[in-house]
Amino acid sequence: MKRSLNVMMFSWEFPPRIIGGISPHVYFLSKSLAKNGVKVHVVTCDFPGSPAHEVIDGVNVYRVDSYKNPSPDFASWVYLMNLNMQKEAAAIAAKLHEPIDVFHAHDWLVATTGIGLKHVFRKPLLVTMHSTEIGRRDGLHAATEHMIHETEAWLTYEAWRVICCSEYMVQHVKWAFGLPSDKLAMVPNGVNPHVYDAFDKEDLGSFRRKYALPNEKIVLYVGRLVYEKGIHVLINAVPKVLAKVDAKFVIVGSGYMQEQLSIIVKSMGLEHKVLFTGFVDEENLMRLQKVSDVSIVPSLFEPFGIVALEAMAAKSPVIVSDTGGLSEIVGHDVTGVKVYPNNTDSLAWGIIKVLTDSKYAQALRENAYRAILEKYDWNKIAQQTIRLYESVLGEYSKSFWA
Amino acid sequence: MRVVLFSWEYPPRIVGKLAEYVSTLATQLVKSNVETHVVTYNDTMTGIVDEPNGAKVTRVANPVRTHVNILTWDLTLNQEVERAAANVYYGAGKHVDVIDVHDWHFIPAAATLKNALGIPFVYSVDSLEDHRSPGTDSPLNMAIRGIEWLGFFEAERVTAKSEWMRNEITRLYKVPKEKIAVTLPVAEFAVRDILGIYRAAAGGLVGK
Repeated sequence: MKRSLNVMMFSWEFPPRIIGGISPHVYFLSKSLAKNGVKVHVVTCDFPGSPAHEVIDGVNVYRVDSYKNPSPDFASWVYLMNLNMQKEAAAIAAKLHEPIDVFHAHDWLVATTGIGLKHVFRKPLLVTMHSTEIGRRDGLHAATEHMIHETEAWLTYEAWRVICCSEYMVQHVKWAFGLPSDKLAMVPNGVNPHVYDAFDKEDLGSFRRKYALPNEKIVLYVGRLVYEKGIHVLINAVPKVLAKVDAKFVIVGSGYMQEQLSIIVKSMGLEHKVLFTGFVDEENLMRLQKVSDVSIVPSLFEPFGIVALEAMAAKSPVIVSDTGGLSEIVGHDVTGVKVYPNNTDSLAWGIIKVLTDSKYAQALRENAYRAILEKYDWNKIAQQTIRLYESVLGEYSKSFWA
Repeated sequence: MRVVLFSWEYPPRIVGKLAEYVSTLATQLVKSNVETHVVTYNDTMTGIVDEPNGAKVTRVANPVRTHVNILTWDLTLNQEVERAAANVYYGAGKHVDVIDVHDWHFIPAAATLKNALGIPFVYSVDSLEDHRSPGTDSPLNMAIRGIEWLGFFEAERVTAKSEWMRNEITRLYKVPKEKIAVTLPVAEFAVRDILGIYRAAAGGLVGK
């Protein structure tokens, strides 16, 4: 009998340490891989109150000393943390009864750990590039940005395969690092629609009343209040929407644009129609997604767009700007509405269409939910990832390292 | 016996006295029938060379060209040192008796190789951060001290070049004196003593 695949993953964040999107991604991916018979060892940074080693849903999670002395700067901390992570991961891998077959790193934040261990154990390394420095910064300016970019380039060079979560990112990473096409693979990000099931039994009427009047439709935005997320486009669309349909705009999240946006809303005399909630905890966020009549993702730059997937899983109709990963997630008039990026009229048109045509909105909900089950199901994503591991190991078995 | 020496300077790249010392050590080891490999840094002369003194020298460069301080330079370069050392290990039927790491720069690689492949290492001290940058406690100096501490903690044996340095290591890092041997850095230095230290280190690692 063939023994099961033995994978070691590196991630700088894993629940309960949550900084961005990598933490939930690695959590669901590792859990779904384990369910499909893969032995998964996740090596991640320590977190106050969390054990150094535990088994979560079949996944071995190891939390290593993340270097807690003061560091000269963030990037230096990353490399110092990697010094600890690599040494401890080396000891963990050496003590396992069965050798690691594949190392899998997530982003440059664990680059040196993965690159070093690849050579020391002579096993293939895969990397998932969730984002790039050149994309985040819209170019390379300071020395730190160049250093991170060069580290990313080195990581993709050393990796046997580079995984991206959207076709948009595949093209972007190919361009940014000059990679050959056959080195890149697209495996989408996933979403777990069943986390919303619990709220189907709950009466959300009184919850809804906390946010909107009964006659008001709820237009929901979830995301940081920063320029690249296009929240200003939505705010500028508010009066145009209100001219046709009564609605409450609920804005969840915080960011450097918050004060400026509040001033614009005040100057329009629409404070009673736009609610800035700030940070909302996970449970209440899911309730908001359930009660909203439409969810808006107006981003100007978006590598993937997980927030659109979440809205679709919550059966909230979505309107996205036709850009980046969002273009691939949504089929126009099928699973959502695509509008022109950075175009207030186009966005207002989309919102009015969804809010005034309930049959259309209902069709979008149903189609989107079906698409989630078909394409963005973690179980299927895990199986795609396993096929990728197996194809890499097939090539590896013919190499002089095997 | 198969030994790999790690040093951030080696001729023709000479920064201080360490380059000449490691080169002489390599020559003496070869004369004593030790299979001697050197892994060092050189930005342009990369590759593996059989040198006239009989040592096999691998020179690696840093794949990341832009850096913000010596730490980011050092901690990225270490992966190339690991690659070079792993090539020696796998090329020799998965056996290296001991790694001798000179000063702090390549301690991260030595620690990973020990934990991953069970190769013991000796930490040979030429200088300490406390003496190079006296009275400083910036995060950068602290991090370098942390790497030196890691070397003392993970090494099987430590060598110092004077009785004074041996005392300093004990004073600053609380390393037990029995772990530290003094080897005088004279031209025809006592390679027999160093071989004894290597043998002790190679035999000292549990599970090896």
